[in-house]
Amino acid sequence: MIEIQRNRIDVEAVVDSVRRNDAGAIVVFLGTVRADPDVRALDYEVYKPMAVRTLTELGERAREKFGILELSIVHRAGRVPVGGDSVVIACAAAHRSEAFAACSWVMDEVKRIVPIWKTEAGPAKRRARRP
Amino acid sequence: MQIQVRLFATYREIVGEGQLAWTFRDGTTVGQLVEAVLAKYPRLLGHEKSMVLAVNHEVVRLDVVLREGDEVALLPPVSGGRR
Repeated sequence: MIEIQRNRIDVEAVVDSVRRNDAGAIVVFLGTVRADPDVRALDYEVYKPMAVRTLTELGERAREKFGILELSIVHRAGRVPVGGDSVVIACAAAHRSEAFAACSWVMDEVKRIVPIWKTEAGPAKRRARRP
Repeated sequence: MQIQVRLFATYREIVGEGQLAWTFRDGTTVGQLVEAVLAKYPRLLGHEKSMVLAVNHEVVRLDVVLREGDEVALLPPVSGGRR
């Protein structure tokens, strides 16, 4: 499951999308919007066709690199309030070590190469969040 | 030939639009397109070093030759974030 969506992410549905009988581990990562000073939400701008393509390629590379069984990535677009989930990654593998490694690697790659930009939304400001 | 130029985040805010339709001569490269965009929108100058270019959703080098109907995206660095 690779999706970019404006509505809330159903975490359980993402987990269910990677369930397999030959998996012994599922690692789930949630990226959430942190309450930094004056931040009420983050606005995510997404170049959707390229983001979907890049996320799909990341899933394929993760399968080859770590030997995992299934990987799903769902990312929000638009405004996500403080405390909300902006990204959910679920990774299923035969054993937990490759599931943890793949999940961590995929999230780093999402931050590095997927065309998604975030802007802080607060009471009276709009600025790009620093890395 | 007609080329769609897409701009995102900081670049979109600077230019004031996220999508432009431009006509270029046959044989124009991605690098020449970037030069033309920078000449028309000089407030983008200085951003070209960190700019990532994509044609039809795939990252490309500056020497790639454009074709009729291509979509060229000018991408600012993505969000990053601490691990």
